[in-house]
Amino acid sequence: MSLVWRRAVCATARTCSAMAQHKTLCTARPALVKQIVCAEEGNVTVIQGRVMPSPRENRVVQTGGGTCACPLCQLHLDIKHTDVLILSQFLRSDGCLLPRRVSGVCRLQQRRVQQLVAMAQKAGLMPNLAPSSSKRDPRRRFGFKKFNKYYDESTIRDVQPFSSAMSAR
Amino acid sequence: MSSMQRAKQWATFARIWHIYDAKWQNPFDSSKTIAKYLKGQHKPIYHPLSDCGDHVVVINCRDIALPGPEWYQRVFFHHTGYPKGGATWTLAWELHEKNPTKIMERAVHRAVGGTLLRKGLMARLHLFPDEHVSEDLLRHVTSQIPQLRVQPRRLDSYSEEEVRDFPKVFDYPADHVIR
Repeated sequence: MSLVWRRAVCATARTCSAMAQHKTLCTARPALVKQIVCAEEGNVTVIQGRVMPSPRENRVVQTGGGTCACPLCQLHLDIKHTDVLILSQFLRSDGCLLPRRVSGVCRLQQRRVQQLVAMAQKAGLMPNLAPSSSKRDPRRRFGFKKFNKYYDESTIRDVQPFSSAMSAR
Repeated sequence: MSSMQRAKQWATFARIWHIYDAKWQNPFDSSKTIAKYLKGQHKPIYHPLSDCGDHVVVINCRDIALPGPEWYQRVFFHHTGYPKGGATWTLAWELHEKNPTKIMERAVHRAVGGTLLRKGLMARLHLFPDEHVSEDLLRHVTSQIPQLRVQPRRLDSYSEEEVRDFPKVFDYPADHVIR
């Protein structure tokens, strides 16, 4: 059932080429990103907008093509909720998820990442990516939240991990 | 008996002290392994009436991990034996707050089975909430039971260079504001 659904989705992704941006093409001009920096000097607040090259410029994994244009579908990874180095790439500094139009992943992968990030945050594995007003130490949480938790990724029902879905093709 | 045979006899029948780190481990899965060592079922000379079990020292009982919602779904029952209100149902996290070794103790108590040997086996189990174990017990420990689950690493345990140099799945689009 889920296999038929995935094939149907990827077929639509192939046909609507306007939406599917081919990330495998490399552009001549590097992408410039912006950062807003606030600084207080005495009683003067300076809000500066900096234009700088992306911090991820030479670190992006080059993937081959595939039926789906999203980078996670092309990478064929079985991401666990403990892979914080991968999941943190989809988060802002305050722990919020980046939208799909920024990350470029497809709808199903975005849902899977959303649930994996929720698991990792509840397990207290990414305490530094949190709002500035939050308690950064998981041990200072209230009640049951201060204790260690782990999650089972097979409970995510929307998208199956690639080891089981792609091998059936 | 020659001295070599005497050494082999001692090595076979000696009571060994094992240590187990319960950090980020499920207590109910770990208790099955710990019960095996307490009974002596890991030895080829095992017999239930042979008294061939070993001691197990469990450290970091405070840092056990339960799956997802079990901290507020799993309930421990206790009855005082007295009528009218003697029964209490305590949630796992409440019990863990009051006594951090109790969940591990209950798990091993169940895993060891309901035989008459249970009291003796539980007497050979030594539980500690953190890594502080007295020297009297630690000097007997000669073996370590391997952990069942991999301990996850927190994001702040990685250095800034490791996070920066890790391969990235996507790059930010042009004119994206990093917040």
